[in-house]
This record gives sequence, structure tokens and C-alpha cells, in this order.
Amino acid sequence: MKTVKRMDLALVERTRNRKKFYRAFSRSMRVLFIALTIFFILAPILLLIKISVSAPQDILTQHPPFLIKNFTWSHWRKVLAAGHIWVPLWKSIVVATFVALSGIIIAAPGAYVISRLPRKIKYGVLLAIFSTRMFPEVGIALPISVTFVRWGLVDTNLGLILAHLIKVLPLMAWILTGTFDSIPKDLEQSAMVDGCDKVQALAKVVLPLSLTGIAAASILCWLESWNEFTYAVYLCLAESTLPIKTYYYVRRGNWFESAAYAVFLTIPVMVVTFVLQNFLRNDYLSGAIKY
Amino acid sequence: MSTLRNLFKHHKLEMVMVLPLLLFILGFTLYPVLQCIFYSFQDPVSGAFPTLENYRVIVGNRKFGDALKNTILVTFIGLALEMSTGMVVALLLTTKSRFRGIFRAITMIPMGVPTIVSGVVMLYIFSSNGYLNEFLYRLGLIKLPIDWAQGGLRTLFMVAVADMWKVTPLVIILLLSGLESIPADVYEASAIDGASPAQHFFRITLPLIKPFFTIALILRAIDAFRIFELPMVLAGRNTMFLGTYAYSEYFDYNNIHASGAASTILLIVIALFVFGYILTVGSREVDQ
Repeated sequence: MKTVKRMDLALVERTRNRKKFYRAFSRSMRVLFIALTIFFILAPILLLIKISVSAPQDILTQHPPFLIKNFTWSHWRKVLAAGHIWVPLWKSIVVATFVALSGIIIAAPGAYVISRLPRKIKYGVLLAIFSTRMFPEVGIALPISVTFVRWGLVDTNLGLILAHLIKVLPLMAWILTGTFDSIPKDLEQSAMVDGCDKVQALAKVVLPLSLTGIAAASILCWLESWNEFTYAVYLCLAESTLPIKTYYYVRRGNWFESAAYAVFLTIPVMVVTFVLQNFLRNDYLSGAIKY
Repeated sequence: MSTLRNLFKHHKLEMVMVLPLLLFILGFTLYPVLQCIFYSFQDPVSGAFPTLENYRVIVGNRKFGDALKNTILVTFIGLALEMSTGMVVALLLTTKSRFRGIFRAITMIPMGVPTIVSGVVMLYIFSSNGYLNEFLYRLGLIKLPIDWAQGGLRTLFMVAVADMWKVTPLVIILLLSGLESIPADVYEASAIDGASPAQHFFRITLPLIKPFFTIALILRAIDAFRIFELPMVLAGRNTMFLGTYAYSEYFDYNNIHASGAASTILLIVIALFVFGYILTVGSREVDQ
């Protein structure tokens, strides 16, 4: 009897030890994986910043150092002084802003109507509109480019704005339908009982309530246009946007210029993304999480 | 017919409001797609329609065959990397810890980096005097630098890793929303029944998040098949994908018909994926 008990105790002790070991092992594995993930995510970004402030002898060598050895602002100064950046920057800003504004004007009324449709039809329409975003862009950009050459819209802001709207409108309609869904129908109906006509009810009740969603949608769409590459590469031959200019320096093998331009391109996106992450509810983002 | 007329009569305002959106999508999305398909069936010389001449030409072109093969391979490699890493990180993000908030914010950073920029960054890492070669050299794994853009599997691997860096956050978000939808008592019940961690994962977690997994998989497959910016930056003209092949036929050879044919093939593959997506998502959303 006694020996059995002792054996039991030993067994309990052993399993307890094994459990402890297992827990410690899984914990350290977890920490290791987290550290690796963080390294894998952050290292490229740090490298980008590093290259934009490193002296040429640190970069254009067979064995580049991982840390900043010779710090310099000269690439930045050169990029800003050469002034090639201002024209594309201005074009990117103008195009993105007009895309966001005209996107709201076209998509918001449509999204309102879609959100007031019966449930099943609404999801059908939304999915149909949103699935146009999944078409291959090279397939749409080709006829658009051919047509725009004929219309004289290549290398113009208007042409690029129209092309970017192809990409942006479905996203906007998707987000704004969610916004309008969250505004109860009773509100506008009671406004109409109180003597508003339909347009007044929309302008005085629905519009003010949906301003947050509209602002969020327009910011996201501004970013989409700011980052956009495919349509821009088909439609910009002489006057390029910032992403195309970056691509141009990549093609020429100019590391420092492309690094500086890339940092320039990233900053507004990073800032806005982080602000938006705190500001947006999750459901706004559900359809819109990819830039 | 009379119901339709009634609809117009009673909902004039709604019709006017939705019209610009619908017209734009019809005129600038659906019509171009049809045009693209039309180009692909149009004879390049005589303009006769329909003809399979363009398809015969590009299928006979070795570059197109390579592009198709590369696209399929990079989709498989990319999806395998993204889904497995995404799953691991999503699981790590569900375990409670003080640093979870920070870790989650960090994993989302690549989403805020424009695709062209991620291409530029990967170029520094994968170029022959880049940082990956230097890293391997210092570890003593290689003596001579590897030319990652040379072609073949290693270039596909490079493009897949670059794509993975950029899009895994999306996979993580989707999988995480799946993991968070599993009620805690399911886990408690299985813990009481003495399930091992492996059983936990394969018998409970995986089946429960299957719909989220499928959606992430299809969305990623669609994007991976259309891959365009990263190969443009990284692979140059040596290793082509369907997207870059269509671009090159138009810009280098001014052949809208071949470009249209390549795009149409791309479109058909994607249409199949989208159909699958709509079946999955559509059925889920109507259920809710």
C-alpha cells in the first residue's frame, strides 16, 4: 500500500515537472516567434530610412553595414534642391483631393439609396459593385488608356482622376452604405412628418449624422489615389505622380533618390493610417483594409 | 411593366441619386472590360471579329507560357507563406499579455506602407549587394552573393516574400476576427475533456474559423493572381507575370490585342475566384 502511494507521488511529481517544462517551453517559443515577427516587419522600414540618410560608401559596396556608419542629410538635401519632386507631389495631391471630393459627390447619394434597399437586394448590389474592384486592373486600364489617348486625356489630371475613380467608387459605396445603415430610417420619417420634404430630410437629418463616415471614406479614398500605381503607369507618360516618379528612379537604379521618394510617399499614409485606426470603428474597415 | 413604371414614379429622387454611380460603373468599368474582351477576339490586321488568332499567338509565345506558370507558382508559394504565417501570428495575438496591444499595432504597420514602397524596400534587401546576401554572408552560409532577380524559383520566392510582407496583416485581421468569434466556453469544455494543444487546434479552432480562412484564402488568391506592382519593381522584364506580360505587350510592342487576350485570360481566372468568394460570403451574410 505504502509503496503504491509513493509511486503515485513520484508520478504526480513527474507530470507536474513535465507540465512546468512544457509551459516554459511554449512560453519561450511564443516570445521567440513574436520577436522574429517584429524583426521581420520592422527591419525593412528601418533599412529604408537608413539608406535615405547613409553616405554612398555605406551602400554602394559589396558588404553594406547594417547600422548607420556615416550619417548624412545630403540625399535629402539633393532631392529637395533638385526640385524634381515638387511637380509630381503637387500632381499627386491635386489628383487625390479631387478623387476624394468627386468620389463623395458620386458615391454618397448612391450609397444612401443602396442602404435603403430591401436586405437581400442590398447585399446583392453591394457585392456586385464591390466585386468590380477584383477585376484585373491591367484589363481595365488597357481600353481606358486606348480611349483616353483618343480623347486627349493622357497626361492630364482629369484622365487620372477618372481612372482612379474606377478603383475608389466601389470602396466608397461600400463604406458609405455601412454608414447610412447605421442611421435609423425613423429619423428621416419623423422629419418628414414634421413637414420636411425628402430633400430637406436628407440634407438636414441624414447628412449631418453621416459626416464622420463620409470623412473617413474620403480619407481612405484619398490614400488609395495617393498610392495608386497601375492606372497611373498606363496614363502618365510625361507628367508622373509620386509613385510613378519613385518607380522611375527604381528603374534607373538610383537608390538614394528612390529611398527618399519612398519615405516621402509613406509618411502621410502612415500618419493617416494610425490616426484612422483609433478613429474608425471596425466595421467601416471590414471592406476597406487594403490599400 | 406597370410595376416598373410605378417604381420610377414613386422613387424619382432615389433614381436620380443612384444614377451617377451606376452610370460611372457601367461606363468606366464594365464597358472597358467588355472592350478588353473585344480586343482579344479582334484580328490585329483586318479588325475582323471574332477570331482566336490572338490567343493562338500568345499561347505559342514562350514568354506568355512562362508568365502563366510564374503567376500560378507565385500564387501557391505566396498563399502558403501568408496563410501559415498569418495563422501563427493571429494565434499569438489571441494569447493574453501586456504587450498584445503594441504587438498588434506593429503587425499592422505594413498595411500602411504603399505597395510601391514595399517593392523599393525589398529591392534593397534582395539586390545582389543587398542586405539579405550580406546577412547570409555574415552567417557564413554563402561565399558569393546570390542574384535573386536572375529568374526561376528564387525570383518567385523573392516576389512571394515581398508580397507576403505587405499583405499578411490583412490575413491576420481576417483570421483574428474568426478566432475572436469563438466563444471561450468551447475552449473550457475541451480543456476539461483533456484535449492536447494539437487536438485543440485541429479539432476545434480550425473547423470553427474555416469560413474566415476560406474568405482570406480567396481574397488573397485574387490579389496574388493580379500581382503587378511588385514584379514591375523587383523582377524587371526577365521574370514576367500575367499582369506585367499584358503591360509589356501594350507598352513594348503596342499590341493591344495580345495584351487584351492576356488580360482576358486573367479575367477568367479571377472571375472564377470572385464567384467562389460571392458564394462563400453571400451565403454567410444572408444567414446572419
